[in-house]
Amino acid sequence: MTHEATQITSPPKSSEILLHLGPQHPLQPGPFLLDLKIEGETIREAELKIGYIHKGMEKVFEDRTYIQILPLTDRICYLASNSNNDVYCRGIEELLGIEPTERAKYLRVLTNELCRIQSHLLGIGEYTTDVGFLTMFIYMVREREGVVSLLEAITGSRLNHNYARFGGVAHDLPPGYKEMALKTLGELKKLVKSHDEMLSSDSIYLRRTKGVGVLTTKVASELGVAGPPLRASGVNYDLRRIEPYLVYDELDFNVITQTDGDVFSRVKVRLLEILESIYIIEQCLDQMPSGPYKQDVMPYITRPKPGEVYSRIEDPRGEMGMYIISDGSDKPYRFRIRGPAFATAQALPPLLIGTYVADVAAIAASMDSCTSEVDR
Amino acid sequence: MGLFITIMDYLVIFFSTWEFAPWVRGILGGLVIGAVFGGALVMVYLERKFLGDIQSRIGPNRVGGRFGVLQLIADAIKLFTKEDIIPAKADKWLFIGAPIVALTSGFLMVAVIPFDLLMIKGSEYAVAVSRMDISILYLEAVSGLSIFAIFMAGWGSGSKYSLLAGFRNVAKMIGYEVPLGIAIISVAVMAHSLDIVEIVKAQSTWWFIIAQPLGFVVFFIALLADVGRIPFDQTEAEEELIAGWATEYSGMRWGLAFFAEYLHAVVGSFIITLIFLGGWNGLPLIGNLYIPGIFWLIAKTIMVIMLFIWVRGALPRYRIDQVIDIGWKVLIPLALLNLVWSTIIGLMWA
Repeated sequence: MTHEATQITSPPKSSEILLHLGPQHPLQPGPFLLDLKIEGETIREAELKIGYIHKGMEKVFEDRTYIQILPLTDRICYLASNSNNDVYCRGIEELLGIEPTERAKYLRVLTNELCRIQSHLLGIGEYTTDVGFLTMFIYMVREREGVVSLLEAITGSRLNHNYARFGGVAHDLPPGYKEMALKTLGELKKLVKSHDEMLSSDSIYLRRTKGVGVLTTKVASELGVAGPPLRASGVNYDLRRIEPYLVYDELDFNVITQTDGDVFSRVKVRLLEILESIYIIEQCLDQMPSGPYKQDVMPYITRPKPGEVYSRIEDPRGEMGMYIISDGSDKPYRFRIRGPAFATAQALPPLLIGTYVADVAAIAASMDSCTSEVDR
Repeated sequence: MGLFITIMDYLVIFFSTWEFAPWVRGILGGLVIGAVFGGALVMVYLERKFLGDIQSRIGPNRVGGRFGVLQLIADAIKLFTKEDIIPAKADKWLFIGAPIVALTSGFLMVAVIPFDLLMIKGSEYAVAVSRMDISILYLEAVSGLSIFAIFMAGWGSGSKYSLLAGFRNVAKMIGYEVPLGIAIISVAVMAHSLDIVEIVKAQSTWWFIIAQPLGFVVFFIALLADVGRIPFDQTEAEEELIAGWATEYSGMRWGLAFFAEYLHAVVGSFIITLIFLGGWNGLPLIGNLYIPGIFWLIAKTIMVIMLFIWVRGALPRYRIDQVIDIGWKVLIPLALLNLVWSTIIGLMWA
């Protein structure tokens, strides 16, 4: 896949139209510009232009102390704020040479999986409205509500959790949490199964999604796509399994893969991953040891030794990595974020060529990219 | 009920004397237009509430008590007070004309819809603004005008999204007016008339939905496409074309276009009730149960409207090429099959 293939090279011919999808368009989760050269309803060329909400986060991070960065990592992508906290904290812990307490590891896995569930639910919901199925969106948001409440009960906030800390987490579980979580998740499991059945049996939905926007393994691996879009293309790649962090090696779960790589498979992977995440959470709640949830003594100002670290995590949307260089001061010398959504977004234009305008919404939403994270 | 019948009696005596006076028809036309206007408003309200129930939401619940009955008034005030924008690149007269044509087509359709048939002293009077021999053909013709409205809007807005929606609409309509017409012909064959009143009279014992269920299905699907509702709302697919042909409209101009759509849906529900569900006739074999026909008609129409809303809540949207495929490859053969069937049945029916 060359870079030229995703650019509009020539002005439109007389039978073609240059359609600017964006920067403001109802299908978009955030502002980006998708230029499409269309002939009738068929897309001939596509070009993605990003940078409309560039926040300069990496540079901002270099000007903040380590603990000040922590709440800002939430804002990279509000749906994956817990994962972002976690990957940042694990990087700093590696620099500091400490380990989180055993209970904190379980708590982080627990919140990460809850975070994955709510992100997937909203992702599927946004996707279903883009094929004109508003009812399913509202069902998904309703189901997400319970999961967000579970997160709120632990972390105290619904979106930007700011939960992980260096060597531990911010709060312990509230009393009676296990019963509450099992009840909500038990209901969620039933609902997700029924929604899966509904989506797999709806003939219009199947016609809209089967064989549409096929992401081949080759394109996916060349463009660095990870997470559900890659697994939907048949690659068994999941950091939780390949490079187990926290306590994932003690937990039992399946890596969900599908073979087709089309829109349907990507949504199916997310639906099934929700069920796997529920299973992981149930194990966490059973196996969680008692003990301290944070370090007894932590220095007031974090000053890691000079060095560099790359920590990564299986984000709801793919592989999230943070590369941090410390020069021994209380601020990072260099900070680099490798976001999953950026890779997913750049895989979008090759998928669009040859499809119909109506499929743009379906394909774009099935990639579940996040503009906030693409631009950061 | 007694009072109602008395009033209707007076009305009918009035009609029998003044039936041909133009101003009587004018008054009746005004009343009917008002009623259908109100019907479209009721449909918007029903849609919000019923769709809210389907989607486990509440729907409007602030303006006018906890059921939000005045929400539409508030919306209308909002639309009236908004700025009317005509884009610089728009073709001004096409842009202004489109909602007017859309609404006109809706009102022209209302003119031939009969609401009841009254028998006074041996002669019958259809409660309609105008009774013509070819009213169903006329309906088909004027409903086709709305296609022009959408294409005018699509072309005149000077926006690529509107233009795409206009193209889509023309492509879709060419495919769907045909099965719609064939389904109507099948009904006319059985009723031996193109007059809606005669068609309803032919259904006094059995409804045409029982005689030709396939025809009903074809007509219902084609009607859904005709009035542009999910799963056939590609012309205003929000996630693809923003608001389709209505993208550039604002304020009351948009309100009119939106309203014209609901008007078409309400009139469409009336037509489906009249030609397939027995119109003002009561239930098959049971009869009217001493309830005036107009109530039967309205009750059935509301059921059809609810069905429209239910379909919207339950289905995703087709892609435009699939829509056209269905129109040409599925609906037209089925409609032709139904025409053959209805001809055979129609010979026996007579």
